[in-house]
Amino acid sequence: MSEQKTFNTKIIREIALRVLKASLKVALVYIIYIFVAPMLAPLSGLIPDLMISIESFVIFFVVLMVLSDLTKDTIFQHFFNTARELYVIGYLLLSMGDGFMSLSYESISLTVNLTIFYSIAVLLSLLGLARSILQAIDYMGKKAEREASFQTVLKK
Amino acid sequence: MKVPIRMLGIAIAVIWVLLIAFIVLAAYSVTDLRFNVDEPQFNTDSSGQLVLNLPLIIDNGGYYSLKEFKISTLVSNVEGLEISRADTFIPIIPSGEIVTINHNVPIDLEEIFSNDEKYLFEDSELQISLSVGLNFAEVLPSQISTNFTFPWGAPFSDFEFDQGDINRFNLTHSIITIPTSFVNNAFIDVTGSISLELCNENNSVLSETQELISVSPQTSYEDSLELIVPITENGLTDIQNGHFNLFFSTLLFEYGPLVIPYE
Repeated sequence: MSEQKTFNTKIIREIALRVLKASLKVALVYIIYIFVAPMLAPLSGLIPDLMISIESFVIFFVVLMVLSDLTKDTIFQHFFNTARELYVIGYLLLSMGDGFMSLSYESISLTVNLTIFYSIAVLLSLLGLARSILQAIDYMGKKAEREASFQTVLKK
Repeated sequence: MKVPIRMLGIAIAVIWVLLIAFIVLAAYSVTDLRFNVDEPQFNTDSSGQLVLNLPLIIDNGGYYSLKEFKISTLVSNVEGLEISRADTFIPIIPSGEIVTINHNVPIDLEEIFSNDEKYLFEDSELQISLSVGLNFAEVLPSQISTNFTFPWGAPFSDFEFDQGDINRFNLTHSIITIPTSFVNNAFIDVTGSISLELCNENNSVLSETQELISVSPQTSYEDSLELIVPITENGLTDIQNGHFNLFFSTLLFEYGPLVIPYE
């Protein structure tokens, strides 16, 4: 009975820690967003739906991040990590288009070639995806090792 | 496996931080860029061609050099017909330096007038397409382009050519006095001559004259051109069925003949 109680306390503490960690991460992302958003505000007049697009990106990114933290030490953590990296890659590829950003104000038009920047960002996201997959492989490998050693102990 | 994964994570995080720092610095550098355009001036080059000089002052107060800075100008008339095109290329504008660029656009007045005669006699406008291309911070090639119109003052604005009466000059010749006037609304001096020919219907010259002119910008000219015509049997008929050929000759352009039928 006492062991069960200790186990429950441990579980509750673990869940609380995960929630706290996830909350801290969300707070950190929110603070960064609050600082960065005013810098992008002048562009919102030139690019319609820019802020909506960024907001939806941040919300989905944070949701996946929170789910990943809450499901720590399970295979779902790696699913959510991989989904997050795939989401970032997809978002970058969709927003990249032909790699040129064009803004127009009255008779002045500005075109910036962002191909190199987008390429670096996509490559970094691909590295992130590779890392998530490596983590999943590592997790499955360790799980298999644990099961094998557990069965060895049982046989003995 | 855990160490390589962690190292990969650290490397990715560091590169993301560097990339974001670069973007933030680039954005701040853009705010420290200053572009000023001085008043355009019209000069003549060594070959006597008119050149529009556009002085651009660029204050690169940012953290990055501006490379492959290229200014391109396309001047066209109101119908969109190309009149002139010019490029100015600056390989590098280092960070923290102020550079003055003289962008020269040659203006071929003869081409303007041959494409559209109204630019000689009517105030109008020229269409200018200006584009500035540069490679910002090595990795962000950018281009700014704009279109605007430039007012055009005609050198022979409100040109009037009144066909005067024919009077007897002496026993053998008649005189035709033609009051002529115009306003020089151009940005250049009109210094040269107006030549006038009176031709019959077979295009044979009956009489000709030349008047020297020197008219400063925004001033008017008013004078009379006089033609001495020999009195012949068919002289009056020849004149009445004939026409005038007008030629304009200045230091910067020549135009003619402008054919005006005798009425």
